[in-house]
Amino acid sequence: MGKLLVDAVRCKGHGICALIAPRLIDLDDWGFPVLLASPDYDPEQSKLAKRAVAACPEQALRLVTEVGP
Amino acid sequence: MSGVHTDLLSLTNPQTPVVPDELASNPDQLLAGVGEAGSRILAGPKAVAGMESLVDHLDRLGPLPGLGDAAHIRRVVEESGLQGRGGAGFPAAVKMRTVAARGGSPLVVVNGSESEPASHKDRTLMALRPHLVLDGAVVAAEAVNADQVIIHVHRESRSAITSLKNAVQERRRARLTEPRMDISYGPSRYVAGESSAIIHFLEDGDARPLTDRRAARAGIHGRPTLLHNAETMGHLALIARRGPWWFRLAGTSGAAGSTLVTLAGATPPGPRVFEVGGAVTVGQLLTDRAGLDAPPRAVLLGGYAGRWVDGRDAWDQPLARDQLLARGLSLGCGLLGILPWEACGLAETARLLGYLASESAGQCGPCIFGLPRLAEGMSELAFGRVSRRDVRQLLRRSATFADRGACHHPDGAALLLQYALAVFADDVERHIRRGPCDRKSHLPTFRVPTPSGAGWR
Repeated sequence: MGKLLVDAVRCKGHGICALIAPRLIDLDDWGFPVLLASPDYDPEQSKLAKRAVAACPEQALRLVTEVGP
Repeated sequence: MSGVHTDLLSLTNPQTPVVPDELASNPDQLLAGVGEAGSRILAGPKAVAGMESLVDHLDRLGPLPGLGDAAHIRRVVEESGLQGRGGAGFPAAVKMRTVAARGGSPLVVVNGSESEPASHKDRTLMALRPHLVLDGAVVAAEAVNADQVIIHVHRESRSAITSLKNAVQERRRARLTEPRMDISYGPSRYVAGESSAIIHFLEDGDARPLTDRRAARAGIHGRPTLLHNAETMGHLALIARRGPWWFRLAGTSGAAGSTLVTLAGATPPGPRVFEVGGAVTVGQLLTDRAGLDAPPRAVLLGGYAGRWVDGRDAWDQPLARDQLLARGLSLGCGLLGILPWEACGLAETARLLGYLASESAGQCGPCIFGLPRLAEGMSELAFGRVSRRDVRQLLRRSATFADRGACHHPDGAALLLQYALAVFADDVERHIRRGPCDRKSHLPTFRVPTPSGAGWR
């Protein structure tokens, strides 16, 4: 459960997140993440999302529970 | 009709009778320049008279009436239906309530950093009617119990700065009981007028937009910060004097009050800033003030990162915010650009995209790498040879920009491109088949500033 958020200023386009969770994150033509529309993550994808967050060298990826904007 | 007006008037401030000739005409049909009959926020002396002094301002409008406690002022603003005039159109009363609820020691910021190169409405208002803007800031401060006002402008806005400096001095000399007022000068960069960029600048001296919305919401040095556009402040000054229903009369049921508009692009010489009421259409404005008798090729709505609309589709479109929104359009900061039939919309868009790319704050990947590619792709389409496949790829690329930057700069640029490809679809087809059109040599209709090399501090 939750939603991935990219801090666009921190992100340097390493692309590791998309390698870990390809069903949640795509890369644009320059290697920067594009979050794929995924209203609800199943347990498997949630696990991958958490792993992608932990693996980001810039700590630019966050997993938030949807409360407010 | 007169019965309705009487009812509404009884709700306005009883100490300040409404000037009769302002009601003689139908305010939702209002279309006027500075100092012209029927004008509201632009009422007063003509533009040639320059800045209206404090004495003249008070002679004309009377002092700001006491409006009671902060909660009451917020209620008046809520009744007025005033929405921010900086572009986003957020309800002013909601902003006030959010700031007031945080308690602490709030601060009011007047956003006078009009960053759209072709927009002049805030600068015009600050230069000619600085006391209206400052009065509005006082009302905003009273609505949230703030004891300090910062007026933030671009360093290059010379006439606005001169007027504001004079006005602040006049008020000090007159010993008005009001919050302390300071003027802040920031770099003239396109995205530096965005609200989080201003908060960033006032806190750290760096005018790039903040990526962390929470930091922007926290305010300057953690002080709850109420930020309103300069025109919004001007309306507040009038709402305080005339009452919320007087303000509403000039709007539609879904978009209260009159609005300032700047004409850009192929405009005749002369004034470009006008005040319009809710029922006025694009066609009326262009007929009356730009000397057109038929729809232009297209109009650019909302700014250089705005949207193109075919002139014929736009002609009968009312300028009221709600009625534009119903078609997915917005006047943004009030910019209406005219593209004449002899210009090439693709060439214009290519130049605008080049400018937008050069104005990136260089913080986010999609903006740093993506915008220059969009601009190049558009240039190739406008001035070179491209295939249908190239255009499809350009469109596909532009679709990946939504909501990915710290601010909405990349989103705006991508939308401009998408609207151009749709509105100028016939031209796209011709360019693909035959290469650049001869209209491309036409001088740029929308002039873009030469890169100033100005930094972010």
